Amino acid sequence: MITTHRFTFYTVLVSMSLVLTSCSSEQDSNEESKAIVLLRGLPTLDTNHSIAIVALDPESENFGEILQEFEFADYAMPLHHLYYSPTGRLYATGLDPQCSLAEVDLARDASGAPVINGVECIDTEGQQVGEDIIWHNVNGTDYMIVSFMAGTGIDQSDGGSIGIFDPQSNAVLRIIEARKSTVGEGDPYIMYPHGLSAYGDRMVVTSTIHADLATGVGNSVTIIDLNTFTPIQTITIEDAQPVGFPSSPVEVLFLRPSIVAGIEPTVFVNTMFGFETWKIPYDESNKSFGEPEIIYSGVDEGTGVPLEFYGNDTELFISHAIPGVVKRYQLSSLPELVSSGPDLEAGLGAHHMIFYATESGRQVIAIQNNLLNLGNADDNDPTDIDFIAKVNDHSITVHDLETGEKLATVNFKERYRKGIANVESLFGSGFVHHH
Amino acid sequence: MLNRLVKKTLSISAIVIAIIVLGGFAYIEIGSNRATPITDFSAPFVFGQFRVPEDNPLTDEAVELGRRLFYDVRLSGNNEVSCATCHRQQLAFTDGRQTAIGVSGKALALNSMSLANLMWGPRHFFWNGRVTSLEEQALVPIQHADEMDQSLAELVDELKADSQYKSLFSVAYGRITNENIAKALASFQRTLISSDSKYDKYLRGEATLTEQENLGRKLFVAHPDVKASLRGGNCIDCHSQFLTSGFNTLYDGFSNNGLDSEEDLLPGLEEVTQIRAHRGLFKVPTLRNIALTAPYMHDGRFATLEQVLDHYNEGIKMSSTLSPLIAEADNSTKGVVTQASLNLTEHEKTAIIAFLHTLTDRQFIAEEKFSNPFD
Repeated sequence: MITTHRFTFYTVLVSMSLVLTSCSSEQDSNEESKAIVLLRGLPTLDTNHSIAIVALDPESENFGEILQEFEFADYAMPLHHLYYSPTGRLYATGLDPQCSLAEVDLARDASGAPVINGVECIDTEGQQVGEDIIWHNVNGTDYMIVSFMAGTGIDQSDGGSIGIFDPQSNAVLRIIEARKSTVGEGDPYIMYPHGLSAYGDRMVVTSTIHADLATGVGNSVTIIDLNTFTPIQTITIEDAQPVGFPSSPVEVLFLRPSIVAGIEPTVFVNTMFGFETWKIPYDESNKSFGEPEIIYSGVDEGTGVPLEFYGNDTELFISHAIPGVVKRYQLSSLPELVSSGPDLEAGLGAHHMIFYATESGRQVIAIQNNLLNLGNADDNDPTDIDFIAKVNDHSITVHDLETGEKLATVNFKERYRKGIANVESLFGSGFVHHH
Repeated sequence: MLNRLVKKTLSISAIVIAIIVLGGFAYIEIGSNRATPITDFSAPFVFGQFRVPEDNPLTDEAVELGRRLFYDVRLSGNNEVSCATCHRQQLAFTDGRQTAIGVSGKALALNSMSLANLMWGPRHFFWNGRVTSLEEQALVPIQHADEMDQSLAELVDELKADSQYKSLFSVAYGRITNENIAKALASFQRTLISSDSKYDKYLRGEATLTEQENLGRKLFVAHPDVKASLRGGNCIDCHSQFLTSGFNTLYDGFSNNGLDSEEDLLPGLEEVTQIRAHRGLFKVPTLRNIALTAPYMHDGRFATLEQVLDHYNEGIKMSSTLSPLIAEADNSTKGVVTQASLNLTEHEKTAIIAFLHTLTDRQFIAEEKFSNPFD
């Protein structure tokens, strides 16, 4: 009798264990809904910068849970942006001079779970403050191209460089530098480069803001001839100055037929402090760029600090840090901006995003809401910059793509005492064409 | 008050006793399995997620036991054929024959499949996908009259008579049973990971492909699109980019690749699903080590990779279940299509074959831990 009771109780325990394991397995089965995030330790909260794998299925009990975390105790500044190469290698640009570009070593353990084995800093030959990365083929050769906002020295008042890397060995092949103070009057220059986008043998790079966020702001884009890796034209992108600063072009997207079938190639540019989206026509026959024009005005529409371009098979998404929304447009109507639905109400600092399906198959978008993820003066954080600190919600919000409904929020500052700097799909979560 | 105290004390005692007794019971159950979680394991991130059955976790002992069983001729009725007879390591676990030959000496109906990266790709095994786990698969050839023709009961008796097996099973699984034989074989096969080919090194940034190999790679991953001036070998529509196996969603990893016309179609997947649209569909194999695994296709009809490329380029036979991705893939700019064909140039075909050779993993076929432990 006792044995029977014991066995029954044991069976119940085992059953509970199996149920829990089974739930866990089901949760783990939806790898598409996991993300890699870059987290910023906040000095006043005594936390370290890190890279982590996070569960983001709003239908799962472990939504918002950090599944694995790799911390950087030695870096004063965090890694900045994550990018997957076409061959499946994960890279990160970085703000710390010790590590302005890195490759993340990912593997799988014996259970099949992804693991971050480590991060290897790449020799940039002195280039600092990595921002964007693109992989592009020019005349049959593949390149990894990286913008470094501080160029070869953050102390330079007009610095900035573009690093051309061998995508296999990560070795620097050449550095494109053309500081305004070193080129002739009216000649094209590269200053505070950030956004990159390329089509054929032409690449557009934006001039955003000095890496110290204090001593200089750009207002132009520069065209690079990728046959010679030289700047050939600088185009001013500026109209009103709603906050009294130059326009600060940030992200750029070279719309091309591989993104929108049949489209006449066109360049889109977001201006961080101009609050606008601009369009620059491109004539492929003679490789000339036309007059830029404003196609979206944040001043008129009540939005500010437009940042990223992302897309899926049917829509283009543009994030606006203020008031923290993502606007959506019909991909097929580009280069005209035709709305495809109501704004996604995210959070202050709406910035990067990823797309995936939940366990039940619901298509969702996760939006990272932090402009630059600096500390807040209220916390006596030494990294505080008043304007920027107010544009940080420290969250990821997940929205139903069909209805726009906000399904879930994870606030990293509240839950992990860290800010969130970037989000990227873990692997294979679909086609995204920002940058 | 005292009464309540006594009752409370008794209750606590009962709980403590229960914990001790149940703990002991649990220890006995768990203690019979003293296996070590696998220690030497790594898999490429880009291969994607995989799942190991919760009732058969990878352990060092299970893998070692499975390896021994895999190479043991006692798994056959005549004690002459092992799994490795048809799955030879130096041929990336194929046998070089058009179709396999087992204990009966008769040629079997189908070609021996390569055993590499089995934790990924279609979650169905055998050419027609008739089982859904490696555990389920493992016992089928053992019992098949023409393959190994062994009675499982006799096999268990033979293994029980071997003190080394008794010891290995004891640590790995506890007892020698049909189920545990299958689990051990499945565990060993799960560790057969091929990820050190030139292509893998290229993906990791450790090697550079030649111009010809790189052209082949680009053709491999491209579906032809004449309007976009994109030439393609159309391989990736069935063979995934990194694994080069079929896809794992439901039956996406099965295809009719135009080998036979309507009247000659074999049942294939239809035999399993009873769905007419699945007639002539067979499992899309991994292309890992493809240069070592000739002859090709489910019936081994092609002796060389050149013949395979010729088939896709000009030999596609139309049928009602032909893959639409194959039917409409064409690099021709002539406009009028009279027959499904890739219309690749000789230069392009050669490049694709050069790329396929980069999938050869010499480390895989020489790896000591995959080799015959009886040698």
